[in-house]
Amino acid sequence: MDGLQVGLQFLFTGLNPLQQILHCVLQWATFARSWFVIDARMQPPGKIATMCSVRLQGKHKPIYHAMSDCGDHVVVINTKQIAFSGNKWEQKVYSSHSGYPGGFKQVTAAQLHHKDPKAIVKLAVYGMLPRNLHRRTMMQRLHIFADDELPEDIQANLTEELPQPREIPRKLSEYTQEEIDAFPRLWTPPEDYKMK
Amino acid sequence: MASGYILNRGALTLGIHCQRVCRNISVTQVREKKRWMRAYTYLMEKKLKLEGPPPPKPRSQLPNWDYHAEVQAFSNRLHENFSLELLKTAFINPCYLQAEQERRRGLGVDSEAAALVLKDNIQLSSTGAALTKSFLTDWCRASFPSLPSEGVEGIVGHLTSLTVVAHVARNLGVEDLTMSAECPVPDDVIHHTFMAVIGALEKSSGVERTGYFLRDFLATQLIGKDLFDIWTVVNPMGLLVEELTKRNIALPEPRLIRAAGASTVLPLYFVGLYSDKKLLAQGPGETLVAAEEEAARVALRKIYGYTENRRPSDFSPPQQHQQPLITSVSSN
Repeated sequence: MDGLQVGLQFLFTGLNPLQQILHCVLQWATFARSWFVIDARMQPPGKIATMCSVRLQGKHKPIYHAMSDCGDHVVVINTKQIAFSGNKWEQKVYSSHSGYPGGFKQVTAAQLHHKDPKAIVKLAVYGMLPRNLHRRTMMQRLHIFADDELPEDIQANLTEELPQPREIPRKLSEYTQEEIDAFPRLWTPPEDYKMK
Repeated sequence: MASGYILNRGALTLGIHCQRVCRNISVTQVREKKRWMRAYTYLMEKKLKLEGPPPPKPRSQLPNWDYHAEVQAFSNRLHENFSLELLKTAFINPCYLQAEQERRRGLGVDSEAAALVLKDNIQLSSTGAALTKSFLTDWCRASFPSLPSEGVEGIVGHLTSLTVVAHVARNLGVEDLTMSAECPVPDDVIHHTFMAVIGALEKSSGVERTGYFLRDFLATQLIGKDLFDIWTVVNPMGLLVEELTKRNIALPEPRLIRAAGASTVLPLYFVGLYSDKKLLAQGPGETLVAAEEEAARVALRKIYGYTENRRPSDFSPPQQHQQPLITSVSSN
């Protein structure tokens, strides 16, 4: 965050009691909480979750300390369109127990996502935050939205959009005919060759 | 006889208490905390609580004080060659002379028989103050050539203000040597005395040495301070516009660069000032107005060359071959 770079110049000089106004302004800029937005479209939820947890704890700042409450807000949009790699949609199991006998439930990622499109990202971030009492506060600073639409106040607060961790590969239909033709061919099959 | 206790001869006549060690041996002097110590300590603390701490005494009334030796030590400590009579005159304040006259009259001492042959430091003080102001103004102009005269006046006014001069003087030991009516010495009296010391230095060693002295003790008080903490500017944007028109640069246009938490109670805005589509300066603020003002201040600091990362002023000791102190552009 730019405020940090501008504000840090005062931290390592000796502070004088008369250096008030500049000190106040730079301190405000250094410790202000920023709002990041991440687009989770076609992204693996784990990678999104690491980025979120780093910024929720404040570990992306040089002034980080676990007790300083220096975490920022993170807004995740389009979580409905996250993309697990491999067969995780069918193989990854989310378990829970209601506390009552016979209340053990296991659902696959696909079922959970169908029921609540926000849950996968939320559980992923929750599992990546430190296991202490700050975790709940940090989860309150995480705002997840299944689609593109944000409420006005959150939209007004945003500072920066973070780059997506995974480069989305293009579908064949998104390539232009010139690019398809320009792509090098290993061998040209004869005309009566039957493709399987 | 050797069996002590209260039947001792000494106990009856002199009132000495004896403590028994064993059957045949007794001691009068014991190493423990004495019986009267606790009562005495409590009484003294009660007295302290009732009356408050004792009033401070001037150093000259405390033991181990030799005025002449102290004045010489003052001169040697600062590595300066003071003429000692001038220095002693510099420490004598008019309030002290008046208090002394009244004390002598009160004691009934004949004013002709024991006349008070001491001179004031008023003249030395006025010459010292004038020299200080002129030297500091010249030094400021040389160090910050682009700073306008109001800025120079603001800086010089701060450096010669009561608080700063009193702080410097107290830490140099001027307070102990000052002769004044009250103790602890008030700020204006110590300011007056310090200026008199400067005047005495000028008469003893010359203007150049005094210049180095002022640079080393007063100008160094600027280290670590920001320009707009010293010099209050009410409308930085107006001042910036004036400066840019003087230098024929396009007028600044403010643009919002970054914003965070605009609808929260702790917003942050970064506003940048662009002249002719090039960034002049950017500054943070709690509201848009505050951020724009801070950006204007940052731009002014850059123009006047008073940024935090400027080349530090030259406080090196004077060279042997006597280069003039105030050359132009000594620090930029």
